[in-house]
Amino acid sequence: MNRIESAPLPVPRGRQAATTISLAATFLILVVFFAWRSPNFLTAINLVNLASTLAIVGIVAIGETLVLITGGVDISVGAVAALAGVVTSVLLLNYGWPSIWLCALAALIAGTIVGLTNGLLITRFKINPLIATLGAYSIARGLAFVLSGGQTNLLNDPGFQFLGRGAIAGIPFSLLLMLLLYALFWVVLNHTPFGRNLYAIGSNREAARLSGIRVNRHLLVVYAVTGLLSALGGLINVSQLASSAPRSAVGLEFTVIAAVVLGGTSLSGGKGSLVGTFIGVIILRILDNGLTLLNISSFWQDVARGTVLLLAVGFDQIRQRWSEREARRGQ
Amino acid sequence: MDNNRRPLLEMRDISKRFFGVPVLDRVSLDLYAGEVLALLGENGAGKSTLIKILNGDYQKDGGDIYLDGELVTLREPRDAEAHGIRMIYQELHYAPDLSVAENLLLGHLPRRGPFVDWKAVDDIARKYLALLKVNIPPRALMRDLSVVEREIVEIVKALAIQARIIVMDEPTAALAPREVDILFEIIRNLQAQNVAIIYISHRLDEIPRIANRVTILRDGKHIATRPIEDLDTREIAQLMVGRKMTERSRKTAPAAGEPVLRLERLTRPGDFEDISLTVGRGEIVGIFGLLGAGHGRLTRAIFGADTYQSGQIFINGTPVTIRSPRDARRAGIGFVPIDRKVQGLVLDMTVRENVTLANWGQLSRMGWFRRRLERANTQKWVDRLGIRMAGGVETRTRYLSGGNQQKVVLARWLEAGVKVLILNEPTWGVDVGARADIYEQLEALAAQGLAILIVSSDIQEVLSVSHRILTMHKGRISAEFSRADASEERLLQAAAGGEA
Repeated sequence: MNRIESAPLPVPRGRQAATTISLAATFLILVVFFAWRSPNFLTAINLVNLASTLAIVGIVAIGETLVLITGGVDISVGAVAALAGVVTSVLLLNYGWPSIWLCALAALIAGTIVGLTNGLLITRFKINPLIATLGAYSIARGLAFVLSGGQTNLLNDPGFQFLGRGAIAGIPFSLLLMLLLYALFWVVLNHTPFGRNLYAIGSNREAARLSGIRVNRHLLVVYAVTGLLSALGGLINVSQLASSAPRSAVGLEFTVIAAVVLGGTSLSGGKGSLVGTFIGVIILRILDNGLTLLNISSFWQDVARGTVLLLAVGFDQIRQRWSEREARRGQ
Repeated sequence: MDNNRRPLLEMRDISKRFFGVPVLDRVSLDLYAGEVLALLGENGAGKSTLIKILNGDYQKDGGDIYLDGELVTLREPRDAEAHGIRMIYQELHYAPDLSVAENLLLGHLPRRGPFVDWKAVDDIARKYLALLKVNIPPRALMRDLSVVEREIVEIVKALAIQARIIVMDEPTAALAPREVDILFEIIRNLQAQNVAIIYISHRLDEIPRIANRVTILRDGKHIATRPIEDLDTREIAQLMVGRKMTERSRKTAPAAGEPVLRLERLTRPGDFEDISLTVGRGEIVGIFGLLGAGHGRLTRAIFGADTYQSGQIFINGTPVTIRSPRDARRAGIGFVPIDRKVQGLVLDMTVRENVTLANWGQLSRMGWFRRRLERANTQKWVDRLGIRMAGGVETRTRYLSGGNQQKVVLARWLEAGVKVLILNEPTWGVDVGARADIYEQLEALAAQGLAILIVSSDIQEVLSVSHRILTMHKGRISAEFSRADASEERLLQAAAGGEA
């Protein structure tokens, strides 16, 4: 029966919450397991170490979350991160720019331009996001090699190293930056018309368009922001390693997309949250960190990461189908 | 209507071509504040194109649009909206993952500073929902609502942005009679507030109840604009079709052959229970129920698109197990679903590909398509069912009108050689002319021995096409009528749960 005259629906916030709860449970299980198996896991040194590795994946995952919410995907993020590092070092070392910060600014602009190009390819030329960003991935990676001549450049500017290695009151600066960005983008996604429009676009693009939302303009901004954040991730990487290499951040796109999807963001758009992404990033890092402490080879770590991803997403699908069946029965 | 006033909207000599084919030929329309103008015409007459031009979705090739006497340019839906023009499309456009309140205010979320003012979102949503006396919680997700509720949200949405002109495309197509009354109540309130409404519907019987004037299009041309008092529904239908229509004769039903489809106590608790029925060779059985009576879900279960919990399905007296549409097709059952665009057709494939979709096995030899045979077979059905399209069998089905799309689905199952055809709301959103045509085709198919089960919430449909009629109420069969015994009142009473 239709519900028009019957009792009002309960507020279905439950679905999103349940995803977050199952994520938090996965998180706790991992923490308890590693704390039990490895005495080094819950030490201050390890936790600080863990925290300082969160930022790169975490920051790039913000952009990827926005993109996935609109129903797109961006696989150029790792290549853009590498390009940003190379641009910084080449401008500083080969072109003799006076300040590394100026070079870093140029790198951020370069990342934004790649993102804007992605957005233009997708909105103006109607190229499928996977293909458009695959092209951008190849071009950005290639340019990184061309510009650097394939070389790894040392960049041990003490001021610049603060970005990746510095700490304020014992908390890694990169982590603080990441938390700040999460807070900022959480507000944008949940409390600004721009953010809500992204959900509308991902949920039903035609409905959004017919409601007068400038869909293309929103997508352009989203891909540009993702390019910018990818470049920022690349700079943090350079700062931490004190060097830039065209080969860096290989496979970053996989880790980032895995973290976002683990966090409950739908690949078909319209659904997702930064809280979920945040937990997804932490889970993947804890897994890597814990397995390293247990002296398990990095090859097996890849297997473990993939398994956790499939289990978490698979479980979520089953639960969702189950709850939809329940809802239908209730009608 | 005070015709001395200046019209709120004037569309003058609007023309439009698609791929060189004229769709609108110098069509004019005017609309006064506070009136309901019914825009009528068969599918393909150009109604949809005209209102899409008004909404800035399509660009006109010729003509002018005036609002309050001023020439306006409508390049995109935003422009139309800025002028207070609002569409409610036949296919509802909503974001399923957002709440009702957010959908109501999509693109117009109230802000406080740079942020969304969620309290205002809630308050505004509540205000407009209350205006229509609708008890839908503003925080419910759209995907959790029924089809009817979603449609009502769309209508509320137009109110919420304070449109001056609201275009409704088939607003009652999915509504039960009581809900139509609610909608009409709302429309009268809108009129009282001087909102002008362009009302498109294929249900001609409701036009006199709601419209002040009618404008009729045929083949992309303006045929007539008259006050509603000057026309009765028969004359309207004649103007639309352009030829004399004869009332469908209610002949006595032909005798049914041996049972082809038999259901025995088919049950899925909560949806349908204890459904036993037979459909004989050459028989058309109609199931009538009000919206939500469970008849739609029953059809999906018979076809294997949904499950059933207990009971048995027999084909030609043999019990069959149907767990998937593939099983159903193997058993010789074809299904024409309610939402042809989502469930029935692959819109970007051609008519030929859609027709042969369920029959590739026979049309290919060792994995290769026998293209010529495929074309010939498709052409056969196109001719027999009178499927009309601009570019032959290689036209994408997306570009066909609703009635013709429905015939393509029909053709697919005929091509696949089914013994039983199940149709769920077969003429939803299909115009009168095509409707009569589809009924005639079904009649002819039954005469050739097909067993047909039609499930519908449209009482006229069930009455005019069925040889035998069952009614469903709350998931159970509540009564059975022969064609001779059935009447509108008796069916409605039985479907509403009263004594037949």
